[in-house]
Order: sequence, then C-alpha cells, then structure tokens
Amino acid sequence: MTSSDQATPVRPDHRSPRSARRPPLLVGTLALGGALLFTSLVLISSGVPPLAAYKLIFLGAFSTPTRISDMVMLASPLLLCSCGLTLTFAAGLYNLGIEGQMILGAVAAMIPLRLLPGLPPPLLWALALAAGAAGGALWALLVAGLRVGLRVNEIFAGLGLNFLASGVSLYLVLGPWRRIGQASSSGTEPLPSAIWLPTLNNLRVAPAAPVIALVALALIWVAVTRTRWGLELRAVGLNPQAAGRMGIPAARRLAESLAACGALAGIAGAIQVIAVFHQLIPSISSGIGLLALLVVLLVRANPAWVLPIAAAFAVFTVGSVQMSVSLGADSSIAGVLQGALVLFALLARGFSARR
Amino acid sequence: MKRVFARWPALLALALGSLLAACGGTPASQPTKAPTAAAAATAAATSVPAATAAVTSAPAATAAATSVPAATAAATAAATTPADDAYVFGMVLVGPINDGGWNQAQYEGMKYVESRIPGSKFVYIDKVNPADRPNFKVEQGIDELLAKGAKFVVTNSAEFSDGTNIAATANPKVYFVHASGDSVLAGKAPANVSNIMGRMEYGKMMAGCAAALQTNTGKISYLGPLIDSETRRLVNAAYLGAKYCWTDVRGKPADQLAFKVTWIGFWFNIPGVTLDPTQVANDFINGGSDVILSGIDTTEAIVEANKATKAGKKIYAIPYDFKAACEQAPEVCLGVPYFNWGPTYLKVISDAKAGTFTQSWDWIAPDWTNINNPDTSIVGFEKGKALSADNQAKLDDFIKKLADGSLNLYTGPLSYQDGTPFVAAGAKADDKTVWYTTQLLKGVDGQSAP
Amino acid sequence: MEVSVHNLTKTFGTLRANDNISLRFAGGQIHGILGENGAGKSTLMKLLSGFLRPDGGEILFEAKPVALGDPGAALRAGVGMVHQEPLDVPGFSALENLLCAAPRWALPSRIEARNTLTVLAGRLGFSVAPDDPISALTVGQRQQLEIIRLLACGARALILDEPTTGISAAQARSLFVALRRLASEGNTVIFVSHKLDEVAELCHTVSVLRAGQVVGEGQMGVPQPQDRLLKMMFGGGDHTPAPRETPRRGGSPAVPSAWRLEGITAREGNLVLAGLDLDIPAGSVVGLAGLEGSGQQILLRLLCGQIRPSAGRLRMAGADMAGASPAIFRTCGVEYLPADRLVEGVVGPLTLAEHFALLQPGGMIIKRHAAEDAARAAIAGYDIRAVPDSPILSLSGGNQQRAMLAMIPENTRALVCEQPTRGLDVASARAIWGRLLARRDAGCTVVFATADLDEILDYSDYVLVFFAGRVSRLLPCAELRVPRLAELIGGVGFEAADGRAKANPQ
Repeated sequence: MTSSDQATPVRPDHRSPRSARRPPLLVGTLALGGALLFTSLVLISSGVPPLAAYKLIFLGAFSTPTRISDMVMLASPLLLCSCGLTLTFAAGLYNLGIEGQMILGAVAAMIPLRLLPGLPPPLLWALALAAGAAGGALWALLVAGLRVGLRVNEIFAGLGLNFLASGVSLYLVLGPWRRIGQASSSGTEPLPSAIWLPTLNNLRVAPAAPVIALVALALIWVAVTRTRWGLELRAVGLNPQAAGRMGIPAARRLAESLAACGALAGIAGAIQVIAVFHQLIPSISSGIGLLALLVVLLVRANPAWVLPIAAAFAVFTVGSVQMSVSLGADSSIAGVLQGALVLFALLARGFSARR
Repeated sequence: MKRVFARWPALLALALGSLLAACGGTPASQPTKAPTAAAAATAAATSVPAATAAVTSAPAATAAATSVPAATAAATAAATTPADDAYVFGMVLVGPINDGGWNQAQYEGMKYVESRIPGSKFVYIDKVNPADRPNFKVEQGIDELLAKGAKFVVTNSAEFSDGTNIAATANPKVYFVHASGDSVLAGKAPANVSNIMGRMEYGKMMAGCAAALQTNTGKISYLGPLIDSETRRLVNAAYLGAKYCWTDVRGKPADQLAFKVTWIGFWFNIPGVTLDPTQVANDFINGGSDVILSGIDTTEAIVEANKATKAGKKIYAIPYDFKAACEQAPEVCLGVPYFNWGPTYLKVISDAKAGTFTQSWDWIAPDWTNINNPDTSIVGFEKGKALSADNQAKLDDFIKKLADGSLNLYTGPLSYQDGTPFVAAGAKADDKTVWYTTQLLKGVDGQSAP
Repeated sequence: MEVSVHNLTKTFGTLRANDNISLRFAGGQIHGILGENGAGKSTLMKLLSGFLRPDGGEILFEAKPVALGDPGAALRAGVGMVHQEPLDVPGFSALENLLCAAPRWALPSRIEARNTLTVLAGRLGFSVAPDDPISALTVGQRQQLEIIRLLACGARALILDEPTTGISAAQARSLFVALRRLASEGNTVIFVSHKLDEVAELCHTVSVLRAGQVVGEGQMGVPQPQDRLLKMMFGGGDHTPAPRETPRRGGSPAVPSAWRLEGITAREGNLVLAGLDLDIPAGSVVGLAGLEGSGQQILLRLLCGQIRPSAGRLRMAGADMAGASPAIFRTCGVEYLPADRLVEGVVGPLTLAEHFALLQPGGMIIKRHAAEDAARAAIAGYDIRAVPDSPILSLSGGNQQRAMLAMIPENTRALVCEQPTRGLDVASARAIWGRLLARRDAGCTVVFATADLDEILDYSDYVLVFFAGRVSRLLPCAELRVPRLAELIGGVGFEAADGRAKANPQ
C-alpha cells in the first residue's frame, strides 16, 4: 500500500462520535468569548454597566425560589422543544415550524380540557398531554407532507404553517372559545384551578413539567445514540442519497423525525396551557420554539448537551427579566446574548472546519 | 454533507435574524412625552448589589449615605422601617409608560404620588404583554417589584385580574390595587386587593357630545380595543352623549346619526394578533366618518385624523386616557376625556402606608365642582382647539347638566342591540347594571360579543 | 479572426492537463479537435475562452498576445464558447435570456435585442423566436440561442464543445450549415468532438490531443485516414492482456443470464438508450466502454433500479422487475457501488462501525459490539487502514472503496460498479480488482464502467461498447484488442458491431 492509504489518527470516543472530531472546547470558548464581547458592546453602547448586567443574567435566576421556579417552568417546554429539534436536526431538517406545532399542541390540549372538565384531573392531564402531542405531530406531518410530497422546503412550509397556527389560535380565542361576554386577544377563560397541573405552594413550579421534559430528554438521548432508528436518522440527515442506497427509507425517516418533533413541541404547548398560563392565549408558544432552535443550533444534534444549554438559556431569559427594573435596560439583552452565542458558535465552527 | 454546507448561509441568516429580533421590537406607539428623568433616576439609584430579594437601595436624595443594604426579608423590614427608609410602591403596566394614553396616565398618577409622599419611591415594570414580553406573566412582574421592596403594587390592565389575585394571595403583607377590575365586587379577591376605576362614562359622554356637536357628516366612529363589559359601557356612554347632543342640542333626527365601533382585539396594536388600528382608523375615514373617538391605549386615531386633515379632508379625533393627548395634533382634536389617577392613588397608598388599608371596590366619579382639578378629580375632559367656540359653550352646558344631576343619560327606556331592555322606561340604571353592561346599545353599529 | 496558442501549459496539482501546446487556428475555417476523455480538450477550450488562466505560454488573437481574466474579457476580445449544456435561465424567454446574458454595450435596448435575435436567427437558419420560453426550447435551439448571443456580443471566433451531443440529426445538419456560413464570413470555428465522422464532414483541419499534448505533427488537413486518427487518439501499440490469476470465462451459451433486457428504452438527460436487447451472463465481469456520457451510466442505473425504463422489460433471473424500486433490486441481491463514494456511497461523517450497525438486520437497539466486531473483521479482511471508530470521511480513497466493498453482503448476486477504481493509485486499484474478481469467482456478476481501456481489457470477460446512446453487442473480451476497441469507442464500424444490426462484428 502506498503512503496515501494512511488513515488519519482518530481518538477513540465512544460517547459522541461527532464531537470527537472537532475541538469543542476551543469552539465553545471562542463562541462564548465572542458572544460576551458582542453583548458587552451592546450593553456599553446603551449605557448599561456590563458587569452588573451579567450578574443579573447569569445569577439573577437563582436569587429567589420563585425565580428558580420560573426558570424551571421556562426550561421545561424549552427542553421538550429542543429534544424534538434534536431529532429533526439529526435528520438534516430545519423545523422552523416548531412554533406552530407548539401552538397546535396547546390548542389540541384545550379540547379535552373544555369538553371533559369533569374527569379526574390526572386522567385529564394525561388526555391533554396526549392531545397536545397528537396536535403537534399532525401539524408537523403537514410540513413533512409538503417536504416529501411536494418538495417544499421545510423552512418555508414551517414558517407558513406557523402563521396559520397563530391564526387558528387567535380565531379560537376571539371566537368560539372566548370568555363569556368578552372578545379579547388576551386569552380564553382561565381553567379552573382544580385542573391546573399541581404547583408547589406559593411557587409557580409544577414539578410534573420538568419531570416530563427530563423523561423526554432521556428517551431522545437513547433514541439518537443507541437505536438503529436514531442512527438511520443521522445517516439520512448527513447523506440522504447514500442512506437510500443502504436501504434506509429516507422520506419516511424524515416524516417520522418531524412527527416526533411535533409531538414533543405539542406536549410543550400542552404544558404551557395546563401548567404555565392556565388558559389559551394567542402567543402561547411565546417564542420558546425559536429559542429551542437556537439551543439546537448551538448543540447540533448532540442530545447530551441539550440539558445544560437549554437550562442556561432559561437562566439568561429569567435572569434578564430584572434588567428593566434594576438597571433600566431592556430585558431583551438575554436574546442578544443567546443570539450572539449561536452566531459566534457557527462562526467558530466554520473556521475550525475550514482549517 | 452537501446539504449541510449549502445551508450554512441559511443558518447564519437565522442566527443573525434572531439576534436582530432580540435587539429590536418596541411597539408602535407615539409618545407624547418622553419618560421623565425621574424614572431614570429611580432606576439608576438601584445600582447597589441586587443579589438578594430585599430592599437594597434607598432614594438617592436621602439615604445614600446609610450604605448598609438591608439584606433581610423585605416585609419585616418595612414594618420597622425608620423614617429615612423609603416606602416603595410599584406598578405593573400593560403598555409602555410613554404611550400617550392609558399607561402614561397611570404612570403620571404614580409619579404624582411619589412627589406627594416624602421619602417614597416608585418602581415599575411596563410592557407586560405577550408581544413585548413573551412567556412573562403579571405575577412575575409583581415579583420583580416586590424584590425591589415594593409594599404596594398597582396593576393596570383588565387581564391582570387573576394574576394580581394570585400574587396577593402569595404576598398577604403587600397591598394591591387592580385598576379597572371588579374582582372585589365579584367577591373573588383576597383581602389585600382593592379595585379602583374612574367613572369614565361621564368623560365618554362628553366626548360623544363633542363629536356629535362638531360632526358634519353625522358619522362618528369609535376605535375600540378588546370587548368586555368595561369597553362596552364606555362605547355606550359615548353613544348616549352623542345621541343626546345630536338630537336634543342640535335638534337633528336620531336616525341621521351613525355610530360605529370596530374592535381591534387588544388595548393596543400587536402586529399579527390585533387589527391594525392605523388601518381601522383609515377605514373609518374612507367610510365617511369625520370624527374618530379612540378607546384604545395608543394614539393612532388622532395621528391618522391629522394625516387625513393634512391631506385635505376635515377629520376630527377625540383621543383618550391622557390629559396631554391633544398635543399630538391640536388642530384636529376636539378634546380628550382623561384619567387623573394621582389624587386617588395618593389616598389609597397613604392609607396603606399608614396601615389603614381597607378593601374596597371604588368606582369614582369626577369632582363635579371642577372636573379638571388635578388634585381632586379622577376623570376630566380637556377641550380641544378644534372644537368651535360655539360648540365649546354647548359642551360646557352639557357638562353642567351632568354635574348638577339634572341630566342622567342612563334613563330608560334604553335597550340593547338585540332588543332586550337595558333600562326600563322611566327607570335609571343602577351602578351594577351599568358596570356589567352585556351588550352595545341599540343604535350602535358594532359587535357586542354577548 | 486568427486564434493561436504558443507553448500553452496548464497544470492541476501534478496533472499536466495542457502540456506545451502550440496550435494556430486560422480565420475563415472550421478546426476540429479530437481526443479521448481527459486528453486536455476541455482545458484548452477553457483557457481560450477565459474560464481558466494558463500557467505558462501565451494566447494570441490576431497574433497579439492577450491576457484573459474571465470569459467576459475573452468575449470582448472576440472569442465565445458554446458549452455542451447551454448556460441559460429556464424561467426566461429567449429574448430575456439574451438581454440578461449579454453585456449592456452589446444590446442597449429591448427593441435592439429583438431585432438582433430575429435577424441573426434568419441569417443562420435558426428556429428561435424572441418570445419562446427557454423551458420550451430543445437543447439544439438553446445552443442556437447561445450562438446568437455570442455573435451579438461581437464574437468572431466560436468554440463549440461536443455540440452535437443530445441534439437531433436535423438540428445537427442545420448547425453545420450555420457553422460553414459563419466560417465563410471569416469567423473562426473550433469544433471539439470525439465523433470522427462529424469532424471529417465539417472541418477543414484537425488536431489530436492526448495526455495534454498535441499528437504528431500538430494541425493536419482533412481528410485523414480514420485508423491514423484513432491511433493518435488512443495510443499506438497492441495491448497485451495482463496475466490472469483466474481463468477467463468463455461466452458459453449455457450460462444463465443475470439480467435480461428486452426492448428497453430509457432516458437520462439528453441521452436515450432505445430498444436495447441484452443478456448479461451470470458470474462474469462485464465492462462498459465508451466515451463519458455515451449511455453507460444509463445502463448501470437501469441494472440497479435507479432509473426505470420507459419501455421494454427488465428481468432478473426470470423475474420481471417492472416498476421495482432500488430497495427491491437490493433484496434481489443487486448492489450498486457509485463512483462518487462520499456523495452516493457512504455517509462520510459516520464511522465504519456505525455503517456496519446500519447494515445489521433489524432490531431496535444497535448492537454496538457486533457492529464493531463486523468493522474489525472488515478491516482485517479487506486490509482497510482504519479503526472501527474512524469516520469514513477520514479514510483515503482506496480505503473508502475497500470499506464500501466490505459492506457489500457476501450473498450478493450482482454488483454494479461505476468507475470502481476512480482516483485510486495502481496498487489500490489492483487490490480492489482482486476483491471484485474473487466475488465473481464466487458467482457474483460484476458490471462496471470505466474510461480506462486497459482496465476494461484487463478485467472484463465481456465488453459492451457505447457510442452516443447506441450499444454494441456483448463482445467477448478475448477477441478484442485496443485498436479495435478504440475504433468502436470512436464510433467507427459501430454499425457492424451493433447488436441490433445482427451483422458479424469482426
């Protein structure tokens, strides 16, 4: 054999074959440094002391038990959506329709809550979560149908369906499901507190929500790293042509990943209804789906990193809420930091891949 | 592999887009006045460590020297506070404090209180709505204020009712006012919550009257927010005032008056969720209306009326909520019915500070001796330049009749849109009947949402 | 306009694509350039039309040296190139396309463009109207539009790259008429082709390139004897078959067929294989020869179900495969080895072990250890320089190819390989063939396509020659020598060898 037949040396890393080839530490440091630098510039230019701001952003969410509970209740649906997006990302899809899938999940969850309020609450919660999953999955399958059947790019199909989903929920809130004697886009009649997902005393945390999210994360981790289905998803995502040649039904795997993502987003939507807002509001998804998209862009299809990153993003968001009261700055600075992190991570990866 | 690389630019665009989205995003409001410097000062004064949930700061004027921040529980600290410690009170606002309408009036009311109670400090969190703060609930906003040491919190929007009650239950030592709410009346509020609302019906009657006096086409439009009993009764009041001044003052037949309301779906424009009030105002103008009454928090009605007038039409507007709202375009402004929350809030907050808070549902009439007295009257009407001198006199006469009780527009017979009676013939409506108005009145063109 | 090159050299890495080429193309004539795939024709044309910059030597227009930075500069200087696949915008009309593809100075207004198009089309006998949508035009018409565009932009020398591929005979005739007319008006036409008869019919001069160099004395007058040109194109001497380790199988009629094609018609792009009848004997190696794009690809993809015939019947071991998907072909034991390994063959970022995990039969949870064992076995058995955790991407080409072969199940009945040794060094190529021949000896049918004549003659039992969508009959390799094969590839005597002509091939 000639010298050209030398394989490049490969470090054995059984946990995550993808991260093994890149220097994640370097990329992470570059991304974090760049993002902090950028955010500091934004802060300084708007006259906010960066150190005080970072103190709030990084630590503010831990200052009181209620803030911790707010953070948990944001992290739970965020985690669910991120799990779902991990699947679609593995399959090479950018499921921007996740917001719509969440909304439809919330709408579907309302159906059993409205029709059968007399059922024993645990059964009702299970029904609402199942309906949410079904609603989100169906909405995602529309994206899949457009993508596989009509070759409509899933980004555009998803965005279009997001608008449609907002329309549906707005119509329900202002129309058939409006409060008695009212028509306000602020939301439907709040659910009776008996059928709220039980919350801890004086805190806004419903412990079932993070439990559901963590179970979902565990399942997704197993599915992506241990099952044949997950491996096939990754193969389809990395090279659909070759995957097809190896006998993997690529179109079907795409649809399955979208449906699974939709189901998880739908569960997140259902949690928003029964555990967070206790009513249907038009913007029930609250941008959590898009935030999850940022999470997944950052971690790529590696489920091991989803929990820390989603939790960190929830910490930033909840912590920065205090910015307006404490520092007179806009709380959207968390969005700047999150966006900058993703941007610089992409840039750092781009550079390290080039080399 | 090819796919992944081909999508790199798309990925970057996505990240950039989300970044930009995070940076931008102030609602479309036309500020009439910039937030006062005092607001910035209060915010800046709180730059001492904020890691714990307690009163960490004192007003810059007095207590800056005593630089030992009390990191103990806020509630107990407040009871034993020495005189030089600030009494902190706060407000959760649905819109921006400079919206030229409802929220700005509320904000100014609180600033009035701060200026009248020495050693007090006002903190606030505004824009608590799903468009500006997604996934953020009024309870969280209240928590932020409590963390700043607030002992008293006003929430200023109808949909804050449930959240206010939840927060009040969780914080029994803090007093709350839910402005415009009725959970006390309905018996659903915990003991530390009061409701306050001004009897804006009178202001709206004056607005309706002014509109009817000045209109040339006989077509009056009302830019409605969302539909609930509050907004219905305000539309009805405006209609009653307009009808009276059209028929009894101008002597015109009732069927020549067209009074139309279009609801946008929320207190202000949320793109993609509500109707666009700018668009609705223009539809009014194109439909032949020459007076637009605003029922929403922001100032689109007067802005669009001004634009149309500049373009050669003759359109008038009557803004709402905020005393200085006419300043936006005085030449098209017939006047503004406004809230003057300061005196009322001063009283309830002083009571709470003194430990004499008592729960009540207050629906407070204007000070009829002088509805524009800034220290006494909760509701007022500022006449606008565009209202002719003759009509100003007629309006003053109308206001006088309302003041002395000789004119009660809630006198029957009045019926709802579907014909069911609202007030029986000869009877006068009681407060509850008016408060819980279930439909628009017959004669008003618009959706009642029964 | 006279176009000439002097000592022109262009290298790609270690490959000298053009090596000291000196040629002169006189104005008012049509010049043919011949050469097999990879001879350097395209490189020369791209250098002349500004798509590439030379590494050495010079280009002269009207005896003046020019430096061509980009195609626009070449066009301004008067040289335009007509590509095999015309570069145009499908959604536009002919006129819009002309407008957007021409620089502003050439066609200042829409009306002027319309006039130019109509006048030039009329003069050259072209059938393109200004308002025809591009999507409704044939390749021939799009080529005509491209020629009109270049002339409108002031081209006085036209380079045509395989212009008759994919157009009808009638269109080819009208193209020739137009080219002759252009030449008679003083323009220079450079006609790149591998079809000897067309060059003989059309051109005034002919030059042959091989391995980046001009063969023989350079430019020659036409006519030239065909066998001479072929010898120049494909190299001289007789090919002696490499010593065989395994006995070559004869074309015994008793051997059952692996595939049986009955009246198959199939199309890919512009190329059509029509009415093909063919028996591919089981347990043999069949090499598909021909210049690139002559139809080998279509047959390869037909055989593994990647394209479906529009007419006719395909049988495998007697079973009708009509409408069968590639997956069904796979279950019938047909495996496909694509030329572009990382595009179609393997999932680059996944590791060797992960590939074997994908090949595990069923089961929800991956049997990680089994997959690693399988990968280790493949590494040992196929001499792959890797560990089970190596991403395929990180392997060298030869290792990738062996890994791909290793992944093919033992019980495979037929292997369809597209350029099985593309990009491999000699040793690696020999190793791959060792594996393939071993498979054949175990009863597997191997069909492969390659541009390398030696590879065809070294390893095939039978050869099929493709020429412009036509297929020869199955030729026993033992009867073939390089000159004969070169003739067939160049289309000479093809009718005689054509399976459908039923004539004696020799």
